[in-house]
Amino acid sequence: MRKEQLVIQELESMQADFMTLTNKIIKDARRHEKIIELSDKQHFYNYEKLKKQYNEIKALNDEIEKTQAEVIFTLGAVGEARSKETGFHVKRVAEYSKMFALYYGLDEDEVEMLRVVSPMHDIGKIAIPDHILNKPGKLDDKEFARMQEHSILGHEMLKHSDRPLLKAASIVALEHHEKYDGTGYPHGKKGEEIHIYGRITAISDVFDALGSDRCYKKAWSDEQIFSFFKEQRGKHFDPKLVDIFFEHLDEFLLVRNKYVDEQK
Amino acid sequence: MERLFIEKTEYTPTIEMDGSKQLIDIRGDSFPENTYDFYKPVISWLEEYFKDARSDVTTVNMEINYFNSSSSQLFFDFFDILEEAANMGTKLEVNWIYNIKNESSHEAGEDFLEEFTSFKINMIEK
Repeated sequence: MRKEQLVIQELESMQADFMTLTNKIIKDARRHEKIIELSDKQHFYNYEKLKKQYNEIKALNDEIEKTQAEVIFTLGAVGEARSKETGFHVKRVAEYSKMFALYYGLDEDEVEMLRVVSPMHDIGKIAIPDHILNKPGKLDDKEFARMQEHSILGHEMLKHSDRPLLKAASIVALEHHEKYDGTGYPHGKKGEEIHIYGRITAISDVFDALGSDRCYKKAWSDEQIFSFFKEQRGKHFDPKLVDIFFEHLDEFLLVRNKYVDEQK
Repeated sequence: MERLFIEKTEYTPTIEMDGSKQLIDIRGDSFPENTYDFYKPVISWLEEYFKDARSDVTTVNMEINYFNSSSSQLFFDFFDILEEAANMGTKLEVNWIYNIKNESSHEAGEDFLEEFTSFKINMIEK
């Protein structure tokens, strides 16, 4: 065989090997393309599915939280109904408490929690007899002592739960009649010993009570309320909260006008 | 040949390979942490089983719902072995079972159908 023939044979053999090799590589490359394409599709599909499921769970969660808040709110309103307070009193106290909490600097969750639980403060009144609760005149010492029990009673009713919402409600029930200078009840706690929830509910409740007709008194004028607050700054009320009140007076009055009681 | 049976886990399928029944059955999800390691015994078993041409029909059932890319790669290698056996004259009945809602599984089956022509792959909708 001539030398050229040998060279040609060898090259043709190399050609064949090269073809085999490159065909295999092409086949693998095509497979990879399919695998990646499929993988991308799967990723996208799974992402969409997870997103959908996440949204469903979130919606359910919101539903649970809203239901919780409404039930507690309604319970507070039920408590108030016995002493003939209107549903709007509960709503106003809730909104005032929320504003105080917000401007005091509590975090979002606590602000919302206080909005929901502060209306529960008088739940203990359920255990106070009618003749004391709805007496048109001034209470005598014995009657007053009995009335004061509603804070401890309310606390007793709520303290057994581990749920954060009800734990907060039990604090509010217990301490909303404590005064900043220590002359309040049931325990005569002073200043920051009183839980901020209690201090906030106290000022919210008093602001609303003074501005409303009750069976034992008529509503005070705004001037009377404002000078009472100024006078009681540091005494009945936390001075910071009184300052917040006057700084945001227009907002508080807006709420009061929004939820005004129907004229009987 | 020894029967090979691997119980399913959250990340890997049930694997049954039975020489006496001429049956290979793989069902479940496939996204193991190390695909090569997990399927090594399966590939070994397969290579051993098909090393000589067989006269009886072997049934292969595959029902994979969710699988990662390396599993995808592995199934191609798996089918390569089946193709070699088919080229040697072994008869195969291969069933790719997928859920009608599972687009990925459906598409994967179609890809295998397109690529492997020396044996029939039955696409079975569940």
